[in-house]
Amino acid sequence: MSKITTQIATKPVRQSKGGQAKQKLDVLTKVIMVVTISLLLLMIILPLANILVRSTEATGLEIFSRLLNDPVTQKIFQNTVVMGLSVGALGTLIGFLLAYAQTRLQFRGKKLLHVISLVPLISPPFAFATAVIVLFGRSGIISSDLLGFRPTLYGYPGLLIVLTTSFFPVAYMNLLGMMKNLDPSLDEAAASLGSSKWRIFRKVTFPMLIPGIASSFLLLFVEAIADLANPLVIGGDYTVLASRAYIAINGEYDVPAGAAYSAILLVPGILVFLLQRYWGQKNNVVTVTGKPSGQVNYVKNPVAKFLLLVIPVITATFIVLVYVTVILGGFIKVLGVNNTFTLDWFRYIFSGIGNDAIFKTTLMALIATPISGLLGMILAWLIVRKLKRGRELVDALGMLGIAIPGTVLGIGYAITFNHVLKWGDTSVLPQLAGGGAIFGGATAIIMIYVIRSSPAGQRSGVAALQQINPAIDEASSSLGASGFTTFRKITLPLIKGALLTGLMFAFARSMTTLSAIIFISTPETPILTSKILAEVDSGRYGASFAFCVILIVLVLSVMGIINLLVRSKTEKVELVPMT
Amino acid sequence: MNKKKLIALAASAVMVVSLSATMVTTASAADFGGKPCYQEGEIRSTNGATNTCAMTANGLVYTPTRQLSGSLTVVCGATEAWCGAMTKAFETKTGVKTKFVRLSSGETVARLEAAKANPEFDVWHGGPADGFGVARNAGLTEKYASPTRNLIPKKYQDNDGFWTGVYVGALGFCTNTKEIKRLGLKVPTSWAELLNPKLVKNISSAHPSTSGTAFTTLWTQVTRLGSEALALDYMASLHKNILQYTKSGVGPVAIVGRGEAAVGLVFSHDCVAGAEQGLPLKVSFPSEGTGYEIGGVALVKGSNNPNAAKAYVDFALSRDAQNLGTTVAAYQVLTNPKTKIDKRMVKLNTLTVVAYDFEKAAAAKKALTAKFDATIAVAPKV
Repeated sequence: MSKITTQIATKPVRQSKGGQAKQKLDVLTKVIMVVTISLLLLMIILPLANILVRSTEATGLEIFSRLLNDPVTQKIFQNTVVMGLSVGALGTLIGFLLAYAQTRLQFRGKKLLHVISLVPLISPPFAFATAVIVLFGRSGIISSDLLGFRPTLYGYPGLLIVLTTSFFPVAYMNLLGMMKNLDPSLDEAAASLGSSKWRIFRKVTFPMLIPGIASSFLLLFVEAIADLANPLVIGGDYTVLASRAYIAINGEYDVPAGAAYSAILLVPGILVFLLQRYWGQKNNVVTVTGKPSGQVNYVKNPVAKFLLLVIPVITATFIVLVYVTVILGGFIKVLGVNNTFTLDWFRYIFSGIGNDAIFKTTLMALIATPISGLLGMILAWLIVRKLKRGRELVDALGMLGIAIPGTVLGIGYAITFNHVLKWGDTSVLPQLAGGGAIFGGATAIIMIYVIRSSPAGQRSGVAALQQINPAIDEASSSLGASGFTTFRKITLPLIKGALLTGLMFAFARSMTTLSAIIFISTPETPILTSKILAEVDSGRYGASFAFCVILIVLVLSVMGIINLLVRSKTEKVELVPMT
Repeated sequence: MNKKKLIALAASAVMVVSLSATMVTTASAADFGGKPCYQEGEIRSTNGATNTCAMTANGLVYTPTRQLSGSLTVVCGATEAWCGAMTKAFETKTGVKTKFVRLSSGETVARLEAAKANPEFDVWHGGPADGFGVARNAGLTEKYASPTRNLIPKKYQDNDGFWTGVYVGALGFCTNTKEIKRLGLKVPTSWAELLNPKLVKNISSAHPSTSGTAFTTLWTQVTRLGSEALALDYMASLHKNILQYTKSGVGPVAIVGRGEAAVGLVFSHDCVAGAEQGLPLKVSFPSEGTGYEIGGVALVKGSNNPNAAKAYVDFALSRDAQNLGTTVAAYQVLTNPKTKIDKRMVKLNTLTVVAYDFEKAAAAKKALTAKFDATIAVAPKV
């Protein structure tokens, strides 16, 4: 969070329902509200509704009945849930240990560990899938050549490793932000009353972290059940719903069946979302008191320190190994089999296979990024400052973008926007998705990027706004400024730091997403991640590594540029929890 | 905020321009239509005015001029490198901006069906003819009798002209010689040997729903064993030995080449290309008889640029275009008899081949793959 924010937040005000800040809405605010909510309905609710409708056609109903009667289909459902639960648990554990190490341990290389922990956010998940096979597969460089093992990673173990490493940073960031804001004076108080460190952790620290742990777990759960690329690449016989939906739609053109799989996938997704909201509200014992006071009591016991650092160090080593593999792999013929240096993969990509995808994916992500940031902030502003009734609902609606598995959203878009949208007999919207659509289908892709990224902005916006005294807004309105002018001139500058972080990750997320986009990518709008999937699937790991290198360089440079553009001299941008 | 809005606005403006910009070329002066030519199938093109050299009652003459313009999108089932070389050569020749999307044949049919009302592709090039038959039956492709069809043997084309063969490939086993030795087995030479329990999770195949290659494998069993039920039985026994079903047909080559599995079920030319890259791979064929593919080319129904699409079909059948194959490590047997023969191509007449009925295969494909998918592909292995 920016310094300027925390300065003003010296006297934070928790919003009470129908708080004093909410005066009568002016016309412009009302217009903004209506437009924003209609956009959300169009971008989320409509595609979901269409999935439910299509899934009730014959072949869709057959999938539902199989879910009830056929053990194989039940196994697929079970696999999906087990994968979600185990990735959620393991990822949250790793994220927690890393966050704990950052805030409560002193050791050399702390900053480095932090950077390494964030690296998976900027790369497509296949980087892991392929690198893991190269390093730890049956003929892996480490497993077989060095250690003489021949593990079969295809299936549950491989998926667990790959998905956990890809998604744990979300939990890490979430918990890191939370633990940084914990007030050490509480620990001190407990310690002075004679509690042991372990007891303090169990009785004081941990309970305050429960909402963060719950929300991390649930986010990872949704990401894991939505992922379809990794199951396609290293799923082996561990079949999950997302890849079933993919085969149904892209292999058999059985849209109702694909819709039915999506609808089934939606159930755990939504359930988990509701649970998360319930937890978030019931257990929000973290008191926002501005800057934490007191001295952090670092863990000094060498044995405890060692034990706490084992998993973080293993994780970090693993990530480094993977990235070394990815980067080297882009410059080597067949890493581990034929280790000759070559630039052929890059030549291959730039010979026309990848240029278009690289350019267009970046362009679409660049267009989507500011829009999603703005949408998130407007939503946050409406929720915290303007809405009296129904703000819970609007908040939930906005957050649905990450709660819905990407696969489901993508299929919903393909069904909904692949033709002209009509209300009765009048056309409301032109065709937005598919090769025959306006802008070659780019609109639908940008919409998905926006709706998948805006929740991050919304979350950090809400968090930031809750710490800003509404009296500032009131002062502005009493001087005659409209609601929106106040938002633009007063509120926005104050939450710029949060916005900036949101924007950078929105961009990274758009660039690396696949599940939601693969169903609506068209010849005019080739997507980098689906190109990488094609290369991995055809076994040209070298080309996929080269693609990953390009993607990482692109994401890092754009993040750097956004940072330079938006950041002012006095502000120090830090990574805050987004979700 | 204003700055960002401006950037967004500028960026969208750039996109609008780049997406709507299409190459428009102006007509040329000389018309070659009806003039004599010397090499059947040859394409001549100046500033978009395009003719194909065809055999007629008057001998070899150029077809009437087609004025080509605009852009063309090819959905391509061959390797990325081959698709790239073909489209680039066509673009260079005609000036029609040509791009391709590489999709496996099941995916292609799905995409064609999804966008039936407003097709995103103009031509389908490459991938087994079974898929082309499915597309024909579903009314997704259009009849086009290219003048160059006369050159192509009758057995390599659809009787009614809905698709024409551009290459032929034979299904084979692609074995990692090191891995098979480690397992204490010999390079397999029969379908029966693939069921050896020692090969558990050591065979790699594509998924018949997405991949034409894998459907060829499936239909080969139907032909060889005599019924769909027996074929599915065989595939179910084989399933225990499958490591992972890949999306595209060429996928197993790398999995086997890397030593993740011992044997891959692929078209032999893909295995040859893998071996050429230095992977320890060896091609073999099943003694009970193997299946084969005819890679086709077809016009997509409702194409936005039918003139260019037809010219592309003519081009794909021509000697010069087909000869591009070996330059990009595609060693399929070519259908145009005037093309160069490469010693890396499979000799079809030395193989035991099953009586593969492409029309029957196409008619059965959808239901059969759905059955495979529901009962075999997802079955847990234990």
